[in-house]
Amino acid sequence: MASKPYAEPSVPGEVAPAGQIEAGGEPRVPGGFDAKQVEGRSPWYLAYLRLRRNKVALGFGALFIVIVLFCLAAPLWAKHVAHTGPNENHITDKITINGEETDVVSPDGTPIGPGLHGRYLLGADQNGRDVMVRLMYGGRTSIFIGVVAALITTALAVAIGLAAGYFGGWVDSTLSRVLDVIWAFPVLLLGIALGTALAVGGLKIGPISIASDSLWIPILIIGFVYTPYMARPIRGEILGLREKEFVEAAVAQGKGPARIMFSELLPNIVSTIIVFFTLNIANNMLLESALSFLGAGVRAPNASWGTMIADGYTTIYTAPHLTIIPGLMIIATVLSLNVFGDGLRDALDPRARIRLEH
Amino acid sequence: MKYLGKLSMVAVASALVIGGLVACGGDDDDGGGGGAATEGGEINITATSFPDHIDPQLSYTLEGWEVLWNVYVPLLTYKHVAGEEGTQVVPGLAEAMPEISPDGKTYTLTLRKNMKYSDGTPIKASDFTFAIERLFDVDSGGSVFYETIVGAEEYADGKAGTITGIQANDQTGEIVINLTEPNGTFPNILGLMFAAPVPQNTVKDKDATNDPPPSSGPFVITSVDAPRSLVMESNPQFQTVQDAGASEVADAHVDKITLTQNKSNTNQVTGVIQGDIDFMIDPPIADRLPEVEQQYSDRFRFEESINTYYFWMNTQTPPFNDLKVRQAVNYAVDPEAVNRIFGGRLHEDQQILPPGMPGYQDYEDLYPGPDMERAQQLLAEANPADKDITVWTNDEPDRKRIGEYYADLLNQLGFNATLRIISGDVYFTTIGNEKTPDLDTGFGNWFQDFPHPDDFFRPLLYGPGDLPTNSNNFSSVNIPELDAQMDELLTKQLDEEGVEEGYAALDKAYMEQAVWAPYGNEEFTTFVSERIDFDTAYHHLLFNEDYSSFAITE
Repeated sequence: MASKPYAEPSVPGEVAPAGQIEAGGEPRVPGGFDAKQVEGRSPWYLAYLRLRRNKVALGFGALFIVIVLFCLAAPLWAKHVAHTGPNENHITDKITINGEETDVVSPDGTPIGPGLHGRYLLGADQNGRDVMVRLMYGGRTSIFIGVVAALITTALAVAIGLAAGYFGGWVDSTLSRVLDVIWAFPVLLLGIALGTALAVGGLKIGPISIASDSLWIPILIIGFVYTPYMARPIRGEILGLREKEFVEAAVAQGKGPARIMFSELLPNIVSTIIVFFTLNIANNMLLESALSFLGAGVRAPNASWGTMIADGYTTIYTAPHLTIIPGLMIIATVLSLNVFGDGLRDALDPRARIRLEH
Repeated sequence: MKYLGKLSMVAVASALVIGGLVACGGDDDDGGGGGAATEGGEINITATSFPDHIDPQLSYTLEGWEVLWNVYVPLLTYKHVAGEEGTQVVPGLAEAMPEISPDGKTYTLTLRKNMKYSDGTPIKASDFTFAIERLFDVDSGGSVFYETIVGAEEYADGKAGTITGIQANDQTGEIVINLTEPNGTFPNILGLMFAAPVPQNTVKDKDATNDPPPSSGPFVITSVDAPRSLVMESNPQFQTVQDAGASEVADAHVDKITLTQNKSNTNQVTGVIQGDIDFMIDPPIADRLPEVEQQYSDRFRFEESINTYYFWMNTQTPPFNDLKVRQAVNYAVDPEAVNRIFGGRLHEDQQILPPGMPGYQDYEDLYPGPDMERAQQLLAEANPADKDITVWTNDEPDRKRIGEYYADLLNQLGFNATLRIISGDVYFTTIGNEKTPDLDTGFGNWFQDFPHPDDFFRPLLYGPGDLPTNSNNFSSVNIPELDAQMDELLTKQLDEEGVEEGYAALDKAYMEQAVWAPYGNEEFTTFVSERIDFDTAYHHLLFNEDYSSFAITE
C-alpha cells in the first residue's frame, strides 16, 4: 500500500499525529485508547469506524438501498399485483372500487388517483398506465443511468486527470483546454444540445451505432458532460502527489509512467474517487430528470422519473400525483445519496472539502 | 348583422334594442355578464403560437387566417356565420359570384366601386393580379392553388412578366380569369386569404409581416411585434367597403384587439377566468377543461371544426402494404380511448371526410370496434414477416400520448413497435420526406384549406401528388382508379348533381382500402371573459373565432 500523503485528524480509535505524542510515553489518542490497540488498522477500517459513527449518513445510505430494492422489485409488483407492464395503456378500462366500477381514465381525460385499491395503488396516468409500476420501472431507469453514467464519468475523469496531472506540459495543456471548452457550457445546456442532436439519428461512430431511443444516449451524454467536474480536481491532486517522495522513489526504481500512475498515484486518490462517484450519481439522476423533462433524455414510452414528471405536469390541477410522486422519489434518492456521500467523504478523508459543484 | 346564426340573431336583436334604450338614457341593470352588447372598446386575446405571417399572401396556418380573415377581404369570401352555412362562398370585394363559362375555364368577376384600403388608397381590379403574382414572388405555400391559372407557371418560372390568364380592367372593375382546365374548387380558392387584393406599393417579393399592407376588412393591423404581439384597430375606411354593398363582410363591434403570445395555456385559462384576457385562441388544456366546463359554462362551449385525425400507414412497404394488416389496425383502434386523451374534445369518427365537409356521409360499421379479436384474426391471416415497425409522432403533449397509445396498441397486436417522437416544428416535413428512414406508420391530421372535399383527397391521397419532399401523402397511397375518380369529380362544380355523392363514395372506397386509420375530428372551444358578449361571439368552421363577432357587454 502506498503511503498516505496527508495526515489524518484525530478521532477516537485513530493514531494521533506525531505532534500529539506525549513526551516520553506511548502515542495516545483522544478517548484513552492505547496506540498499540489500533496499530495496524488500515485506513479503510478507520474510515469504516468513522462512517459507523455517522448515524445520519448511515440512515440515508439505508434509505438509498431501500429505494434500490423498491425499484428492483418492479417486475414482481407488475406481474403479481398490478398485472400490467409499465407501458401498457388502459385508457378505457374500468376497475372496481368499493363495489363500484370506475373508469381508469374518465371521459374528460382525468386519470384515477392514488388509493388502496390494489391495482393503481398510486393511481394512473393519462394513458391509463399504472403509476406505481411506472414509478418502479422508472426508478430502475433513473438509477441505472445515474450509476452507469457515473462510472463513465469516473473512468474518463481518472484517465484524463492522471494523464494531465502526471505528464504535465503539453499533455496537461491540451487536456485542460479540452476540459475548459466542455466546462464553458452549462451542464444542462450542453446536455440538451447533445440530447436534441442525437434525438433522431442516434449516435454513429465508426462501427458503433446506438439508436436514438436507447438508454445509452442519455447515459453517454451525462457521463460526458460531467467529466470536467471530476477530472479537474483529480488532476489537481495528482499535480500535488507527483512531487512526493514516493513518486520520486518509484521513478528511481525505474517504474514506467503507466505503472506509477496506476500503482502509486491512483491508490492515493481512491477515497476522492469514491466520494465523487457517490455524489456524481445523485447529480446524474438530477440531470437525467431535467433532460427527460425537457424531452432530451429518456425517450417515451420508457419511464424514468424525469419523463413521468414531464408527462404529469400538464395535468398538475386534476392529477397532481403524477408530478408529485416521482418528484418525491427524486428528492429522496438525491438527498440520500448526497447525505451518504458527504458522510463517506468525512469518513474517508475528513480534511478534504471536495464538492461536485457546477 | 347577416353573419350571425339564428340563435345569435335573436340575442343580437335583443342586445340592440337594449343598447338603444341605454343610449337614450335608460337605466338598464340586468346584472353582470348578461348585459347588453356595446359598440367600441378594447379587448385582449392570447395565442399559444403567434401567427406564422401577418401577410395575406404568405400566412398558411389557422392562427394566421383567424387574424387575417377580418383584415383582408378577397373577391369572394365565406359567410360570417356559425355552422355549415359558414362554408358557403359569397361575394366579398366582388359585386357578385363569378360568371363561369360553359367549359368551366373562364371566371368573370367585377370589383365593387369606390372602395378604399385603410390608408385611403383606392382598391383596384389590378390589385388582384398583383396579389396573385405576389404569391409566386414570395414563394408562398399557397401559390400551388393558383397554378391552374393560364400563364401562372410561366410567371413563376420567370418566363413572363405577368400572369396572362388574368385580365383586370381598373376602369370597369372587371376581372377575367382563365384556367388551364376546369376546376370545381376554384370559387373556394378565390375565397382564400391568399387571393386578397393588396395595394401595388406592397413589397412584392418579401414577407410583409413587420409592415403589413393596409387592409380592406373591418380591422387594420396597426402594430406588429412578431412573435410577441400585434394590434388590430378599426379600419377608418371600412365604410367605403360597406357603402359599396359588401354586406357579407361583417363589421366589427370592438375598436381594438391586442393579440399577445402566451406559451402557458394554464396561465391563459386563469387570465380569462380573472378577466385579464378576453379570449384565448387555443382550447383550455385537458387539465383545466373540466374546471372551465363546469364552473364557467355561461362563457364556454365546444365548437365544431373541419378536420380529421388519423394514423397513416405506409402502403408501399411491409407490413402495411398488406390490406389485411391495415384493416386490422382499423379494427383495433379505439376512438374513445383517443377521445379521452383529448379530454373529451374529439368527435369520434372513422372516415376521411369530416362532418361539415360537403360530401360527408356517415357510413357506420365499416370497421366496427374496437375489435381486437377480429384484428388479431386478420393479422394471423396476413402473417406479416416484418413486425419491427417505427411509430412516428410529435412532441406536443396530446400527440405524444396518442403516439404512446398507438405504439402500445400495435405491440398488443404482436408488432415490435418503436416510438419515435420528434419536434412538432419539423414533424410533417420529416415524415413527408421519402428519404427519412423507417416511415412505417404514425400520427397525422389535416385541417381543411377550404370547404371542398377535394382538399381532403388530392393533397393527402393522390398518387401522382406524392412528392419526394414536403409530401402530405404520408401513407404513400397510389390507387390509379381512385385517382381517376378524383380527377373526374374535380372538373365539376360541387353543386352539380351527384358530385357530393361521388366524393362520399370516394371516401368509402379509400377506407375500404384502409389507407388510414382515422379516429375523429377535434373540437375547438370558445372561452371568453365575463365582459365579452358570449352570445354574439362564435366560431367559424373555416377561420375559427370570428373576431368581428366580439362585443363588450355593459
